[in-house]
Amino acid sequence: MNTAKARTNSEDYLRMYRQMVRIRSFEDNANQLYLSAKMPGLTHMYSGEEAVAVGICEALRVTDKITSTHRGHGHCVAKGAEFRQMFCELLGKEEGYCRGKGGSMHIADQANGNLGANAIVGGSMGIATGAALSAKRLGRDDVTVCFFGDGATAQGLMYEVMNMAALWKLPVIYACENNLYGEYTKVEETAAGSITARAEAFGIEAFTVDGQDVLAVNDLTQKLVARARKGEGPFFVELMTYRYHGHHVGDINREYYRSKEEEADWKANRDPITNFGKWLATEGIATDAELEAIRAEVKADAAAAVDYALAAKYPDTSEVGMHVYAANG
Amino acid sequence: MRDITLSKAVNEAIAEEMRRDPTIFLIGEDVAEAGTPFKVLSGLVEEFGPERIIDTPIAEPGFMGIAVGAAMTGSRPIVDLMFGDFLFLVMDQLCNQAAKTHYMSGGKLNVPLVLRTNLGATRRSAAQHSQSLHALVAHIPGLKVAMPSSAYEAKGLMKTAIRDNNPVVIFEDKLMYNDKSPVPEGEYLIPFGQANIKREGTDITLIGTSSMVQVAERAAELLAAEGISAEVIDPRTIVPLDEETILRSVRKTSRAIVIDEGHQSYGITGEIASRIMEKAFYHLDGPVIRMGAMDVPVPFSPALEDVTVPTPEGVAENARRLMRGEMFHAA
Amino acid sequence: MPALGMAQETGLIVSWLKQPGDAVRTGEALMEVETDKAVMEVEALADGFLSDVRAAPGESVPVGQVVAMIADSADVVPATQIRPVGTEPAAAAAPVALPEGQNIIMPALGMAQETGRVVSWAKVPGEAVAADDVLLEVETDKSTMEVPAGHDGFVAALLAEAGQDVPVGDVIAIITASKPDAPIQARAAAHSAVSEPTPVAPTAPAPHRALEAVVAPDGRILASPKARRLAAEEGLDLGRLVAAGHKQPFHVTDLETLRNLSVTQVDASILPVSAAPATMMHAAHQIGARAPLAGTIDFLARMEAEAGITLPPDTLWARFAAEAYRAAAGVAEIMVEVAALGADPRRIANPDRARLSDQSEDTSGRPAALILRDLTASPITTMRVGPSTAPILSIGKDGESYLLTLDFTDGQLSEDAAIAFITGFAGRLSEPLLHMI
Repeated sequence: MNTAKARTNSEDYLRMYRQMVRIRSFEDNANQLYLSAKMPGLTHMYSGEEAVAVGICEALRVTDKITSTHRGHGHCVAKGAEFRQMFCELLGKEEGYCRGKGGSMHIADQANGNLGANAIVGGSMGIATGAALSAKRLGRDDVTVCFFGDGATAQGLMYEVMNMAALWKLPVIYACENNLYGEYTKVEETAAGSITARAEAFGIEAFTVDGQDVLAVNDLTQKLVARARKGEGPFFVELMTYRYHGHHVGDINREYYRSKEEEADWKANRDPITNFGKWLATEGIATDAELEAIRAEVKADAAAAVDYALAAKYPDTSEVGMHVYAANG
Repeated sequence: MRDITLSKAVNEAIAEEMRRDPTIFLIGEDVAEAGTPFKVLSGLVEEFGPERIIDTPIAEPGFMGIAVGAAMTGSRPIVDLMFGDFLFLVMDQLCNQAAKTHYMSGGKLNVPLVLRTNLGATRRSAAQHSQSLHALVAHIPGLKVAMPSSAYEAKGLMKTAIRDNNPVVIFEDKLMYNDKSPVPEGEYLIPFGQANIKREGTDITLIGTSSMVQVAERAAELLAAEGISAEVIDPRTIVPLDEETILRSVRKTSRAIVIDEGHQSYGITGEIASRIMEKAFYHLDGPVIRMGAMDVPVPFSPALEDVTVPTPEGVAENARRLMRGEMFHAA
Repeated sequence: MPALGMAQETGLIVSWLKQPGDAVRTGEALMEVETDKAVMEVEALADGFLSDVRAAPGESVPVGQVVAMIADSADVVPATQIRPVGTEPAAAAAPVALPEGQNIIMPALGMAQETGRVVSWAKVPGEAVAADDVLLEVETDKSTMEVPAGHDGFVAALLAEAGQDVPVGDVIAIITASKPDAPIQARAAAHSAVSEPTPVAPTAPAPHRALEAVVAPDGRILASPKARRLAAEEGLDLGRLVAAGHKQPFHVTDLETLRNLSVTQVDASILPVSAAPATMMHAAHQIGARAPLAGTIDFLARMEAEAGITLPPDTLWARFAAEAYRAAAGVAEIMVEVAALGADPRRIANPDRARLSDQSEDTSGRPAALILRDLTASPITTMRVGPSTAPILSIGKDGESYLLTLDFTDGQLSEDAAIAFITGFAGRLSEPLLHMI
């Protein structure tokens, strides 16, 4: 990690640490809510991949856009969302970001530039590219980041929109979170050849980065965002990362596709929060006690938000027919 | 009032709206210099430039998805889908994304886009370029569906569609592009959900959409010569549907035939017939008759293709049978 | 004229780049054509000599129409001047021009029938015809049957001759709305010219297979929702249409028939004598009244004392009932049936028009318009039984009074008439003498 910048950017680093801790804490609580049957539906944990969302989103402005995935809580937190409204949404409550109409897989937070999570694998690639086209056409210098997993690289839509993004030099960054498994299948079994080479075939500059190293991710993203704002996009980044949980909560017995040893190794040696915390302490940016205080504070915040959400009211059933069509006028 | 083609009417509507609102752009295959195969968009790129009349590669799901994202972020795209048959290619972006975004976001995100495409058989274009697939999208909540029946409607509905804050799919009848009809010089809009009573009558209600409005009108002329007074109703938009105008008419006439160029089974005719049955049952003096396209892929041979769609003669014959009180199907 | 644009219907010939008789090669420009979008050169598609140019510059020609020919040799080039479209010389004998009208086809009358033989035509060309008129007689392998015209109008063409076998579905006649100037009677040979495979009218309705009356297997009456609703609102019984043999399903127009049916029956005072099905029941009504016993007893005693005539009470009642009924319902003929419980009923025709001592039984079998039921010999005071074909006036006893009960249905009596009838009857029983004068 880059020692030279450490002292000048300590505030940014501490925020990155806090944001990663917030994601981990959010997911721990979401996992518990789900396992204790307090949360309905389907949910997919982002734990383990925090450095990707935080490294990227910390390089973005509020007005920059992201599109997210079914494994989207991390992107949502990293782009600035609040715990209370997120937990309310997860529990289908009226105060949720989408008034309980979206749930875990569809949280949208347009005030922070989050155009929403998408439960169709690869479904948001057009949307992200269109947001970039919109920005370019309307003379805004917004950049859009399209998050998707390795599984989505098998979808045809990706190649159609990368082709157009390259032709039209759109300010979009395709961020492929390669967590090594698409659902219950190893990426080697689903992706032929190189993933980055596919983007390069369109003349798109492509990069591979350690997705567990928040600073590496952030440094690269800052450079690419700046270039994209100048009209040098699009870009493609493959972020090598790992999810600690199964494909979804409830995907418990997963030894048929990956070993417990492998999972233990990533958690013990490559955890993005632990490693970044060690670096912060080594560089003298924060003491272990200070980091522990951050973790405790975030944990308490999350617990309070969960309590709030559990007690919050459901939307009135009369809302079921609301928001099918936007009002005109 | 002057007579212009439906094609010209669409072109005018888009040009007028683009002059009014710089956030509007048009995207699709060969929409710029080529002006589409039907030449509907000719001249637009000269006025608005390639930044706003955007030619794409042949990648319908791609440019449809791009339009959805643009619509969510302050633009008002008009997507040109060269043939209605290509709807199947864009279904995820249209139905899973565009149609649901406003709802899934609890009303936070809007998708103000227009998907303009076409319908209509008897152009000898065979099974993959002749379908009338409006029922498919009318089935999806969150989408509005407009079906102009003449140049006048094509212009007024297109302008309303462009200003709507929702995804609107507008189906033009590709056989009517060169049909001329009176269109006012001045600006006008046609509100959605407002049916047009094309012809008043007292004996039977003929409800026709798009191309089938003309068919219904011609059938009404045939019937008038025989002393049967048919009322012809053009719903103009099928989502939203002006149910009241239809029901009022049927309560008056007691008889109805619904004519639409989509396949008859599970289609628009069934939907409208069903609403009439539910809401005007005790005013019916006979079964509500559906007349859609035959449930076959559209054949190429003119001899075969011509028998797949409703005709004025067929409508008139069914109307006569209704008037005679004949059983359409044995009890 | 080539189709050069996707929605193009015509092309305007700007100029010919070759003259008739000129040699042309494949790919050489032949003419300039303008569509709504552009002007373009049209190339020759064959080597040869330009010939038979049929469209002049400035003409708009429908896509697909021949504008010129390319001949193999210059010799055969006719010295044709360029001439407008549509004036080409007759190449072959023009087919018989058939009038525009309703095509009458050889109907499929049997399951596997492929042809039908025209036995005879019931109409001649030019003759007016109504939809229900028999147009022709057709013989199939099963039988011979009459086929109605199906359309109002005039026979404009008969396209098959008597004795001819015609495939099912072929046009055999044409009926036009207006009287034809030159009606056609085709000879057998001409028939094939008509059966050219012009595509059949789309969505041609299925053969009319349900023209005959249809009856639901469970006896339920088949009627449109509107007809049913209006009948209920007006108290009309659709069952009477069934009983009268009208074709189901019933529609609003049939209600007019039903209304007339009701009126006719009351006027004639003859209700259907045949056992009415249960479905014929109208809404049933009942009115009760009271009259003193003394009136009848005193009157009969007086008749015996003064004239030596002994009368059963029901003779007097039959007369009073007929009088009151005639006054209330305004009918011409009244058959009154008198029945005591357990006794055989007897019928008296117009008992108010004969002397009391001369009331003979009517044995003609004509149905009763009114039934008098004498309950006075029984402990029963009133009774309401099943449906009846005529109003029933029951007379029971209660202390010093007769209890009068009138049972009737909508189709038999209006409410007003029923009230007038029973009031008039009770009044007569109270003051018999007054009414006998």
